[in-house]
Amino acid sequence: MEVAILFAMVVGLMLIGVPIAVALGFSSTIFLLVLSDTSLASIAQSFFQAMAGHYTLLAIPFFILASSFMSTGGVARRIIRFSIAIVGHFPGGLAIAGVFACMLFAALSGSSPATVVAIGSIVIAGMRQVGYSKDFAAGVIANAGTLGILIPPSIVMVVYASATDVSVGRMFLAGVIPGLMAGTMLMLTIYIIAKMRDLPKGEWRGWSEVFESGAEAGWGLFLIVIILGGIYGGIFTPTEAAAVAAIYAFFIATFVYRDMGPLSRPEGERNLSLMQKPIALVTAFFHRDTRDTLFEAGKLTITLMFIIANALILKHVLTDEQIPQSIAAAMLDAGFGPVMFLIIVNVILLIGGQFMEPSGLIVIVAPLVFPIAIELGIDPIHLGIIMVVNMEIGMITPPVGLNLFVTSGVAGMPMMRVVRAALPFLAVLFVFLIMVTYIPILSTWLPTTFMGPEIITK
Amino acid sequence: ACDDGEIVIKFSHVTNTDRHPKGIAASLLQQRVNDEMNGKACMEVFPNSTLYNDDQVLEAMLQGDVQLAAPSLSKFEQFTKQFRIFDLPFMFKNIDAVDEFQTSETGQAMKESMTRRGLLGLQFWHNGMKQMSANKPLIEPTDANGLKFRVQNSDVLKAQMAALGGSPQPMAFSEVYGALQTGVVDGQENTWSNIYGQKFFEVQDGTTETNHGIIDYLVVTNVDWWESLDADVREQLGTILREVTEARNAESTKVNEEAKQAIIDAGGTVRTLTPEQRAMWVDAMKPVWEQFKDDVGQDNIDAAQAINAKH
Amino acid sequence: MSGRYEPDTILGRAVNEIEETAIAVLLGLMTIITFINVVLRYGFNTGLIWGLEATTFLFAWLVLFGVSYAVKVTANLGVDALINVFSPSVRRVLALVAGAVCVAYAALLLKGAWDYWANFANFPQTTGRWFPTGFEEMKRTSYRGWYEVVDIPMPEMLRWIEPIMNEGEHYEKIPRFIPYFMLPFGMALLLFRFLQATWRIWTGQAQSLIVSHEAEDAVEDVAHMNRGD
Ligand code: NA
Ligand code: NA
Repeated sequence: MEVAILFAMVVGLMLIGVPIAVALGFSSTIFLLVLSDTSLASIAQSFFQAMAGHYTLLAIPFFILASSFMSTGGVARRIIRFSIAIVGHFPGGLAIAGVFACMLFAALSGSSPATVVAIGSIVIAGMRQVGYSKDFAAGVIANAGTLGILIPPSIVMVVYASATDVSVGRMFLAGVIPGLMAGTMLMLTIYIIAKMRDLPKGEWRGWSEVFESGAEAGWGLFLIVIILGGIYGGIFTPTEAAAVAAIYAFFIATFVYRDMGPLSRPEGERNLSLMQKPIALVTAFFHRDTRDTLFEAGKLTITLMFIIANALILKHVLTDEQIPQSIAAAMLDAGFGPVMFLIIVNVILLIGGQFMEPSGLIVIVAPLVFPIAIELGIDPIHLGIIMVVNMEIGMITPPVGLNLFVTSGVAGMPMMRVVRAALPFLAVLFVFLIMVTYIPILSTWLPTTFMGPEIITK
Repeated sequence: ACDDGEIVIKFSHVTNTDRHPKGIAASLLQQRVNDEMNGKACMEVFPNSTLYNDDQVLEAMLQGDVQLAAPSLSKFEQFTKQFRIFDLPFMFKNIDAVDEFQTSETGQAMKESMTRRGLLGLQFWHNGMKQMSANKPLIEPTDANGLKFRVQNSDVLKAQMAALGGSPQPMAFSEVYGALQTGVVDGQENTWSNIYGQKFFEVQDGTTETNHGIIDYLVVTNVDWWESLDADVREQLGTILREVTEARNAESTKVNEEAKQAIIDAGGTVRTLTPEQRAMWVDAMKPVWEQFKDDVGQDNIDAAQAINAKH
Repeated sequence: MSGRYEPDTILGRAVNEIEETAIAVLLGLMTIITFINVVLRYGFNTGLIWGLEATTFLFAWLVLFGVSYAVKVTANLGVDALINVFSPSVRRVLALVAGAVCVAYAALLLKGAWDYWANFANFPQTTGRWFPTGFEEMKRTSYRGWYEVVDIPMPEMLRWIEPIMNEGEHYEKIPRFIPYFMLPFGMALLLFRFLQATWRIWTGQAQSLIVSHEAEDAVEDVAHMNRGD
């Protein structure tokens, strides 16, 4: 009962315009003050330890920073050119290339909105030029952009892993097959629609364009090799991978592509080479572009972590009051089996996803359902992937859908029009969600093969 | 949930409730307190770091937000450096020697050595003797040369790995399996029950039975809270805790032997050392004692060695 | 996403510059320390043993220091679907209620932050369950100035605090009150910024506490990104 009041308070405060972070933190604090003897200092401790005590959450600022350097530094633009060169000549070619570019960028970035901004801003304009409707273009990109959190690396997976203490590397591996599948399903759907509606296709520009654009994009794409090779080759942990990615992206953007930093020149002029200005090796670190990119990434980190930290306060208060145990007991008493339980989880997440940002929702829901899932014998990695796919859907459904906001901005369309545009492809993601929910091997095969079965101990 | 009027005793720990020696002991304690002290006191156990991890729990305990915890002994080195004696390599011959030291006057005094800083030690809980594993065979100490070892956060353990020519690496426990598998770190040290429970043996070349150190826990409480309890409540709780401790500590050797056998049954490699080889490990690691002699106190070391001689 | 915050006084510009640079520097340091540790471990079989802990503290500082900036530039995420339905006057009332909630939140967190930090710095905690009614008497266990962090060694230049904070005893690692100080400091700034924000709504200079047109920001990002060759 108390927990229903708590959640009603969180939602109520959010709806009257209280920042999400404050709605979570304030409700939890009141709950704690009324129901327990636990001190206010414990709230402050939770807040501090959300950052200082959760080592895995460190991946968030690093992946955000890597994304910022890649977007600012022209990596996204080169990836799109490469994608068009490969699949642009199929029916619906440019749209398929857009999905393909989103998949590639998703393998670099941990965030879905970042993927939409990076790819969508260029691809949507390009699609309109060759004759697609704006709605079709926006719908495709809003959906494909959600792959940013399913194809590793993924900020949402990091959040799930730290909320439930499963391995981040395992979660990343688990996302690979579902990510490729979802991307393929979207591309097939576009292909079929294109065949039926006779949508425009691009020209095949020959292998030379493939190789040339591939070489251009190679520096960016090589980051995939660095991240995955580094993690599975024993050079760094998944968390450190994000920091390495950020440093690499900074060097590529500043010294190779030179679209930012001391070697960058205004549009139309050739960027300087390092030979012309060797001092750039030093000044790059203090250049205004570098500071601004760091600052922008820092600001996004702060707003995201403010929500996550307060959601962790909520989690702490719920645990302190032993709420998950009583809900789990009630569900087990009611005799729910795994099938019914997974339906309930999906419904909770889908409804929650209408209103909330993914990381915040995961930290609230994961600790609630995780113990029950373990009790029912559901694989924690499988549960994690189900949650991530639900978050993807939440990102493209109103009223709160980060991908909707970003797409409407990038495409210059009203939000409701984007919602309608995204609908046909949303159906594809729904089918995909059902598949992922009831075919666990899609998520568990890769991590189990490479890392052995998941053990749930400390 | 607890009834009105009952004293709420929150016990936060970091393991599961049914397979880890500490988790099993905590569950048993919870069961007995809630049965035998019903109406007077009520224990809530928070396992799996759901409420606090080992670093945060002591802060929360000083603040009065949690009443019982059982962190590993190295966590108390911040309160009093005497506790470094338990991390020193080859200080104790076996778990019986550890047990005798802990129940001796010296060990009892250590439990009360932190009261000026707000904590009171109640009982020592055993996990067991530490073994060493790596992604290559460890036969002689030189085999550890140049390897990266994941260690608990303790200056002694860092110095111990450095003495072997290895490189100590701090790392979150949840990342260790993956790091061992991919080779971010090469090896680690732990008890049989932890190596089996975490499945570390799956991603290591083998485990060498070094018995070079111990992992034990200290059940602690906030001294102000403890003293605020009615004498009869305090006495009953203390008695139950002592009985649970005796029962579970007596099982610890068996639990670890079973874990060791389970590793072998699962295809893991376990290597034993000849007395000569073991002596080489002792020679390589024992210089660490000198470095921490002042922290630990020579009289404590002497007491431990006197007990060792009997086993 | 880039904000469009333009301070209008010289002091405002200076403060803004300091805040933005501090955020950039904290994130930059975190990244570089982590990267160096990877290089040292993989390339040289060694490492900064304190690197991990230092990074997590910098992370905490980044967020604790930065939240007040996020309030200042109205960067916090929220839900504006419902409030946009109402008339401006109703919206203003709701925004003021939201402001009051934020101020109460920051005040509670500031009390909690002080109570958490104070004993680590040998200061008394406040009394009162939720409203500070005074200061507690110091007990023997209220002095926690001796409590050190896990890994970061004590720099020689800070040794002068030992007689003040640790009864002259030697610190091996830095004491916890140093990294934890950002907690009450950040929460005090947060309270100040929420008061300011609520005042701006009261005087009609602002309409809401949450970022409303995320789309506009995103577009600006895109324009920023498409710059260059
Ligand atoms: Na991704
Ligand atoms: Na949504």
